[in-house]
Amino acid sequence: MISALKNELESIFKDIQIFVPENSRLIISARGAMILTILNFLKDKGYDHLALISCTDWIEENEFELIYIISSYKADITPVGNKMPDEPVDQRAGVDNRLNIILKTRIPREDPRFITAIPVFENAEAYEREIHELFGIDFEGHPRLIPLFLEREYEIPPFRKDFDTRKYVKDFFDEIPFVENKEK
Amino acid sequence: MDRKDIKKWFKAPGKMGHKYSLWAIYFCTGCGIIEIPPVITARWDAERFGVIPVATPRQANLFLITGYVSVKTLRAIIRTYEQMPDPKYAVGFGSCPINGGMYWDSYNTIKHLDKYIPIDGWIAGCMPRPEAIFVAVTHLWTLIDQGKAKAYVNYREKYKYYRENQERVLGKLDWPPLYSIGGGND
Repeated sequence: MISALKNELESIFKDIQIFVPENSRLIISARGAMILTILNFLKDKGYDHLALISCTDWIEENEFELIYIISSYKADITPVGNKMPDEPVDQRAGVDNRLNIILKTRIPREDPRFITAIPVFENAEAYEREIHELFGIDFEGHPRLIPLFLEREYEIPPFRKDFDTRKYVKDFFDEIPFVENKEK
Repeated sequence: MDRKDIKKWFKAPGKMGHKYSLWAIYFCTGCGIIEIPPVITARWDAERFGVIPVATPRQANLFLITGYVSVKTLRAIIRTYEQMPDPKYAVGFGSCPINGGMYWDSYNTIKHLDKYIPIDGWIAGCMPRPEAIFVAVTHLWTLIDQGKAKAYVNYREKYKYYRENQERVLGKLDWPPLYSIGGGND
């Protein structure tokens, strides 16, 4: 089943790479807006659960990598080993053997922009807000890219590799004096 | 109650009242809060020491800060602390509020909590055992007896400096000053 899905994806979408590192995992690398088309396609297939959007800062390659992990809770599309599709699925085994599809795309570091996935998966909103404040990536079409966790403004978004946390702590938190010392 | 305490009751009934009725505010921050449920329930039974948890800050006079304090939590801690009626006692629990602990180089975690609110005592450890809370409570009794648990008075007197530090981290605070910002003894 996993190879059938792989072949189908490869025949429809050109210019993508697909790896199957293990039985329950499928990694798709694609470029730009192709990601949203693939997300739409897989959602129609029944993979209707966006588990996570994550980001990695590849500073040496000068790129950000966005990672979308999607999956499904429907038993009949999970490729459980040699099981037939209509065979009842043990729920606990199903969790272990559920197919996780991982979509990866790279965007340049100088101009960190991407298209929002909210039209496809509504729960992308919070993930994209988080990535926006921690990595400084703008998601075009996102209705409210306001801070989610952070209270302060940072010159460099704090999850980027070139953000020096020790220097920041030294310059900011350590500079605040103790109240006893202020008296003097 | 010990028989020899009777003299104290007549001498300073207020102090004795404060000592044996510590109402701890339920304020969960960080991982240390996992130690609180066994402390207040049957296993260790904090009520033996007169410590009972309450739901709102206006009913509480003991504030246990149980773990690392992020900038966002600091805002809530200040608001909670300022709402509590005098006399109030704040105790930092675990190594993170003391000096940052394992988050000493984090971009969003407060390192020294006593720069922002006054603290009566610390419980060191990561995590401290529930027994450590009782050691702290009995030590707090001693401090109250000796009249040394005066952090809330300190807060009133040096409010200007505390507020200055708070605003340095959180920006402009959206609630009015609790005490006169002049820092006088009013």
